[in-house]
Amino acid sequence: MKALAILIALTATAWAHKPSDAHLTLAADGARVTGRLDVAVRDLDGALQIDDGDGRITWGELEAAAPRIADYVKARLSIEGCPLELGTAQLVNLSDGAYWALPITAACAHAPRELSITYKLLFDLDAQHRGLVHVAGQTLIVRDGNPVHVELGEATSVASFVREGIWHIFSGIDHILFLLCLVLPAVFQTKQARWRAATSVRDVAVEVLETVTAFTLAHSITLVISAVGLISLPSRFVETAIALSVVAAAVNNLLRTVDARWAVAFSLGLLHGFGFSSVLIDLGLPSRELIGALLGFNVGVELGQAAIVLVAIPLLYAIRRTFAYQALLWGGSGAVACIAAIWSYQRCFAA
Amino acid sequence: MRDTGRRKAYVLALGAVGLAGALTAAAFVAPNKAAAAARPYSPEHSTDVVASVPRRDPREVAERAQLAQSPDRVELAVALARADIGRARTLSDPRYLGRAQATLSRWWTMAEPPPDVLLLRATIEQSLHEFHAARADLDRLIALRPDDAQAHLTRAVVATVTADYPAARQSCDAVAKLAPPIVAVACKAPLDALGGHAAEAFDELARAIDDAHGDPMALWATTTLAELAIQRGDEPRARALLERVLGSDPSDAYTRAALADVLMQLHDPAAASALCKGYEQIDNLLVRRAIAEHAAHGPEADRLAQMMHDRIAAAAERGDRVHMREEAMFVLAVDGDAHRALVLAKANWDVQKELADARIFAEAATAAGDRAAATPVLEWSSANGVIDARLERFLGGLR
Repeated sequence: MKALAILIALTATAWAHKPSDAHLTLAADGARVTGRLDVAVRDLDGALQIDDGDGRITWGELEAAAPRIADYVKARLSIEGCPLELGTAQLVNLSDGAYWALPITAACAHAPRELSITYKLLFDLDAQHRGLVHVAGQTLIVRDGNPVHVELGEATSVASFVREGIWHIFSGIDHILFLLCLVLPAVFQTKQARWRAATSVRDVAVEVLETVTAFTLAHSITLVISAVGLISLPSRFVETAIALSVVAAAVNNLLRTVDARWAVAFSLGLLHGFGFSSVLIDLGLPSRELIGALLGFNVGVELGQAAIVLVAIPLLYAIRRTFAYQALLWGGSGAVACIAAIWSYQRCFAA
Repeated sequence: MRDTGRRKAYVLALGAVGLAGALTAAAFVAPNKAAAAARPYSPEHSTDVVASVPRRDPREVAERAQLAQSPDRVELAVALARADIGRARTLSDPRYLGRAQATLSRWWTMAEPPPDVLLLRATIEQSLHEFHAARADLDRLIALRPDDAQAHLTRAVVATVTADYPAARQSCDAVAKLAPPIVAVACKAPLDALGGHAAEAFDELARAIDDAHGDPMALWATTTLAELAIQRGDEPRARALLERVLGSDPSDAYTRAALADVLMQLHDPAAASALCKGYEQIDNLLVRRAIAEHAAHGPEADRLAQMMHDRIAAAAERGDRVHMREEAMFVLAVDGDAHRALVLAKANWDVQKELADARIFAEAATAAGDRAAATPVLEWSSANGVIDARLERFLGGLR
């Protein structure tokens, strides 16, 4: 009956810990690979019997076992073409306890384009053990002793975030429409409280520059604030508010309530930053290179923006005295206001 | 004109200051957030205890050494694996399941390992939610050892979780011939209740528990009895029963979670939160405490929600999808994201089909206003004549 009880209870068990994981974090810089291996102290004890048997593993016991741990790691971890050097280990507290944090350096024969990593720790002790290899902005899950391969290069770089930023501007039609609504009237300026076609390219350029800079500053601020987790808003709210901001920008073109478009760009731009950050978070923000990722993504967004403006403004300037421009300004703004109003409704109430 | 120009400059300057401030904040906050838990350190004293493990059993050490010498000795491997499975249960630590599996590795991939290995393999597979593999192993084992009460009982549990009720009933009938009445009734009663006979099942199980006083099985059966009370909509009764079980065995995390659910149904989130306090290490109790504290607007709501988010992220990082039911509950109650909760509840339903899975599925579909998504649970409920007070509240609206 006793054995029976064990099985019944197991069906109803709530786990207090996560299963065994180890983390191998690597970064390549030329021919040099550096990083750290974090292995749970409890797992090392299972493999190497570090505890003296009283159930309490002390720092002294661990330090005494350090050479054995190093041998164990050297026998079971390798990077092809890059002999490993192990540093002096410390401890690190992860969510489920203390881990042995072992610095790793490797001098490769030549700068590797991909890493071929063989990780064989602990699988013979714990069949549910996983080696989580963090490298080049990716996490690979190692489930057995077979080598894993990671492409290096772009994935890790700030450049990839620049590209994501550009891509996001072009794929997110709402940002494009918002920006176009803001710059659309730039070629048509108030002079002594009357509207007329702008007479100098310089005036237009200054106006556009101000608007775009205000937008950039605003969304950069909220992007940073929310990407680091200082403020987080529900995505439905953010998405709806962004759609409403497009409505506001378009309606402002029709009614001309606010002449200072840089002010509109700044205040509503704050909302767009929250939208950008959710994209960035979805991309899997690397905590170690957060600043680089943020800067890269933002630069990408600005580049995308600049490209749109640089194409749009000369065209608008060329047609600013024609009927086509009037049709675009009024009809376009009206259409955008309608479309964005529908988005607002959908984002708020539907899927 | 000059005024406007000055104002522009003023706002842009403000913006620049704001940006600089935000970047500085990011520089300080971000590394802290990412590395606060992950900054290496060296303890000051060599006597500092850095981790606790179960005391080493000298006999086990000897057995392990013998097994290393002669790796074919299946009886040694089975004894060692059984000890680790017991440890997984008492410590609520799945790590020891992985160790049990590793100890059995020589037989693990065999199509037809020895019967003792089949039972342990099925037990481990079941707790990894590999129900089909577990079921196949149990069927194989029963063909070899038709009188193995454990095998039949585990098969009944696996069949129930996968909604194969005829098979579950067949297994319970076999259990009835091999095990004491309390086990037999506790096996069968949930099936009767699910099929719409909760009142009769409750009475029968209550009688069996009375007759079996002193049997350690009676305590386990009392939790089952409380679940039947919940099914009848009698939460106060369920509360009393669960409190009794917990009084005898405070370490029973399953019963504690069930009681927390009942307290939430009784609109007492503060009590539910207090009940789970101090047990945040256990995922199922952390999720309930986070939900309760959120509902009670308690002071720890944000911290607990963050803990739960971290826990979900850690599981996702290793590619685990074992806790989808709890994740769905959390996402619905705390994040208020009905659509995501529905996606999770639906994916969870594809794996396991207990009442609790049906309830969260129906609740998420109701919250998301997606009647079509709930079709599987509606079909399941009508095909099996399921009657459940809590489920009915949601299904009524979805039909």
